Amino acid sequence: MGVLDGQVACITGGTRGIGLAIASAFLDEGANVVINGRDAAKAQRSMDELGAGDRIHFIGGNVKKREDCEAIVNGTAAHFGRLDILVPNAGGGSDYAPIAQMTDEAMQDALVWSFWHTFWTMRAALNLMIPNNSGRIIAMSSVEGKMGKPGISSYVVAKHAINGLVKSAAQEVGTLGITVNALCPGAIETDIMKQDGPGAAQAMGLTYEGLLEVFANDSAVKRLNEVQDVANVAVLLASEAGAGITGSLISIDGGTSPY
Amino acid sequence: MGKLDGKIACITGGTRSIGRAIAEAYLAEGATVVVNGRDEAKGKQCLTELNAGKRAAFYAGDASLQSTVEGLIDYTIKTYGQLDICCLNSGGVLMTAPIAQMSDEEWKLEVDWNLNHVFWGMRRALNHMIPRNYGRIIVTSSVEGKLGKPGIAGYATTKHAVNGLVKSVAREVGTLGITVNAILPGLIETDIVRDTGPASAIAMGLESYDAMIGLFTQESALKRPNKVEEVAAVAVLMATDAARNMTGCLFPVDGGTMPY
Repeated sequence: MGVLDGQVACITGGTRGIGLAIASAFLDEGANVVINGRDAAKAQRSMDELGAGDRIHFIGGNVKKREDCEAIVNGTAAHFGRLDILVPNAGGGSDYAPIAQMTDEAMQDALVWSFWHTFWTMRAALNLMIPNNSGRIIAMSSVEGKMGKPGISSYVVAKHAINGLVKSAAQEVGTLGITVNALCPGAIETDIMKQDGPGAAQAMGLTYEGLLEVFANDSAVKRLNEVQDVANVAVLLASEAGAGITGSLISIDGGTSPY
Repeated sequence: MGKLDGKIACITGGTRSIGRAIAEAYLAEGATVVVNGRDEAKGKQCLTELNAGKRAAFYAGDASLQSTVEGLIDYTIKTYGQLDICCLNSGGVLMTAPIAQMSDEEWKLEVDWNLNHVFWGMRRALNHMIPRNYGRIIVTSSVEGKLGKPGIAGYATTKHAVNGLVKSVAREVGTLGITVNAILPGLIETDIVRDTGPASAIAMGLESYDAMIGLFTQESALKRPNKVEEVAAVAVLMATDAARNMTGCLFPVDGGTMPY
């Protein structure tokens, strides 16, 4: 018996890192889960490891495309018959640079990847949730959704925008049984961090190890976070006990954010 | 198998409302709980209703007194050998007057109840937790810890102060296995709100208690009061080992009232 028995969740970017940890936690609590990613082989390996049989399903697609975002959300409802929980979790950036040197393409890429994908999936999900008078949207923001950092402004801007979207959406659907919240994790050494971190570090004038050290030292606990820390909060927000929490930007950052 | 098996908790103001819901949730997850309250009879009744045998105890006293707060923590450690989770939950609206009419005596009472009680409790608990390199301190703050309201300045002021205390102490003990967090509930129609609400409503210039409930409710996105169980669920999450990286966090349970 889990707190999410019979619920259906859709997680973008769910084949690894934070998204996979949330998928695993949701499955443990009895939910059916759709994960998304670009690489079907990687998804299959993740699903084999989870060993959840028919309760997990993969829908491929690139969240930087609106049609794919809509297909992931609507495909979840088509596959499992409903959609209760949306976790727009994918996101990131590329070609990080100080603003004076930042290209239009780099700013655009971060906005599309993190912010537009959240908007596209949220809109599609709300159109399914509003008629049901029930739903949970849990967007993946970041400590950078509350704080600025030099050299990674595109990421900071996109995550701040997600927080604004979450707060507005929460006010729009507050009386309709739908909650909308954002999770703001501190730095976690996920695959994507290992992949994009060196570029971000260079834009910040640091080595990759130096970057991780800066993040850890900004926190009260002086260490990085872990994906499981984030998944636990996602379960709470998704559960019935989380019904009174909406429009919240929950920090899971070891005491980094000032508010 | 609970998430808090073997953990020892104490809760100021734990015989009813939010504190009581936290006590019930902790017991359900396997913890042992000492609840506090002013009224012996209510305390006994609470223990009967909790029906947890030796896993629950009551410590009588007024949480606005240093001797009570420190006594509760000492009693918990003496009785159960340790303190893992300290919930500083007691508090409320005492002063219901505009600041221009506020007396020194009323101001001091509010500061003792909502702020000093948390300071005294944290200090006592930390002196036990720091050598053990483990602990969870969970403070019941309020949506008024981030927002002002006319007529209840003492409450808003002390709740803001508590948030500052939580953030500072989280940084002091961050590397010692101890987390310090606050939960910021929106309006809940607890016994204490029913007791003090009518006077608060008058101080806020409102027609009635119902008008005050309506005002708070309208400020939220959900357009309804919150529930004690919703606060208790967050208190469980913060108390678990898994929440080791959540600290210095001001966690709203306010139906979307606060702007940040």
